[in-house]
Amino acid sequence: MTAAALHDAPPLDAPLLDVRGIVGGYGAADILHGIDLRVGAREIVGIVGPNGAGKSTALKAIFGLLNLRGGSITFAEREITAWAPNRIVRCGIGYVPQVDNVFREMTVEENLEMGAFLRRSGIQEARDRVYGLFPDLVDKRRVTAGSLSGGQRQMVAFGRALMLDPQLLLLDEPTAGLSPKYCEQIFQIVRDVRDAGVAVLLVEQHAKQALALCDRAYVLASGRNRAEGTGAGLLADREIAQMFLGG
Amino acid sequence: MDLLSFVNFYLVPGIVLGSIYALGAIGITLVFGVLRFAHLAHGDFATLGAFLALALVAGLGLNPWLALPFAMAATAGTAIAIHWLFYEHLRGRGAILTVIASLGIALMLRAIVQVIWGVDSQSYATGIVRPDSYFGIRVKDREIWTLVATALLVVGLQLFLGYTRWGKAMRAMSDNPDLARLSGIDTRLTTALTWILVGLLCAAAGFFLGINTELKSLMGWYMLLPMFAAAILGGVGRVEGAVLGGMIIGIAEECSVLILPSEYKSALAFAVLLLMLALWPTGLLRGKVL
Repeated sequence: MTAAALHDAPPLDAPLLDVRGIVGGYGAADILHGIDLRVGAREIVGIVGPNGAGKSTALKAIFGLLNLRGGSITFAEREITAWAPNRIVRCGIGYVPQVDNVFREMTVEENLEMGAFLRRSGIQEARDRVYGLFPDLVDKRRVTAGSLSGGQRQMVAFGRALMLDPQLLLLDEPTAGLSPKYCEQIFQIVRDVRDAGVAVLLVEQHAKQALALCDRAYVLASGRNRAEGTGAGLLADREIAQMFLGG
Repeated sequence: MDLLSFVNFYLVPGIVLGSIYALGAIGITLVFGVLRFAHLAHGDFATLGAFLALALVAGLGLNPWLALPFAMAATAGTAIAIHWLFYEHLRGRGAILTVIASLGIALMLRAIVQVIWGVDSQSYATGIVRPDSYFGIRVKDREIWTLVATALLVVGLQLFLGYTRWGKAMRAMSDNPDLARLSGIDTRLTTALTWILVGLLCAAAGFFLGINTELKSLMGWYMLLPMFAAAILGGVGRVEGAVLGGMIIGIAEECSVLILPSEYKSALAFAVLLLMLALWPTGLLRGKVL
């Protein structure tokens, strides 16, 4: 963790999300060997690193999709370690999986309704907020999500996760498989989501573009923290670029 | 043969049989769509429902149509119980285990029916029912009621799946189970709901077959193939497809006696099934999840 000190971001007094030393994996072998992550309110934080670094696994661990063997996860000053996903989603974290992140055979509107399944009131307001964020979806509300373009489908996926008004959105490689044109659109959406008051923690393959987008970022490799800092700071660091970000 | 006798002797019985198959096929499609396995005890659920209605008719002297809702409710309860006692324990261990377990359930239910009600044919009411004539088309009252009740059940189910919170949750679970879980949809409740619907529909199918023909302990088992053929023909996962498939199989079976010896009637569903799987495996209405 020597590189960590090089790019010190502004201190986070009371981070929204505080992940400390989490250890775990899917089966017998651990993938995460003590990861630390912090996300402040209204912050865009990136997780980058080479393939197999444990980036997506870290995100799943936060959302309770992994059995952790160690470490702790605190969200909004509540310890949520080892909570089930449906409990975590109630406490204000939304999660957008990398693939299969919409209900394909259901309409855009129904996708949003399913996102709001746990809430009994304010569904209309939440839906209006999502449509305000993604005006493209208004005309498509009666169209099945599976028939939308990649970018619009991603908007539906984000929208579904935003229906419970989360304070933090976890995005697992939101630009995977999308053309460069859509990537820029998705990054703009991430900014819009943040501007709407939601903190974002995202995993990205396109490390350079992601670092340009993020307020802060963590570089992971082999399930460990390798560096952290501001997006711009990490981008400027040639050693990190060469070692972890593909030159 | 003139058109009227074709309608009277082939088309009307075909539509009645078709609506019975349709109700069964919808249940098969629901189980496959939401729980992702082929439910082989489906026919015997129908047998059970038919005989539960008989118990009320024979035991309490109830009108068969009045007994139907109770039989449907009881079969729904049985379906949930069977799920919790057996299928639930096999969850996450490969669908084929559950499929084979459902074959065991089928044999078990059949044996229970045979122990309680015997192996002889029975009926809800004795005596000959004469059909009424409507502009030359001769239809029995019970046939009209079968069609009306089937239509109500199908419309009710479609409204439930399309417009209610839990109906949509069922479709969501069928569409993308992982995402449904991430959205906080309680998959145990959704599963139980699926079994309730399956039980209701199966009992109705069995009752309609029983009231239009007779009750036999093997009646449901013999319906299994045409019901699966109907579900696949219409496109697995589509309720409207199951209705269409059921109608086609039912009418085709009744009409097949025009060109084939009647012993081959039940082989027709098999032929349709093979043909569809070979040529058009997604079904007439492109198969999907619910």
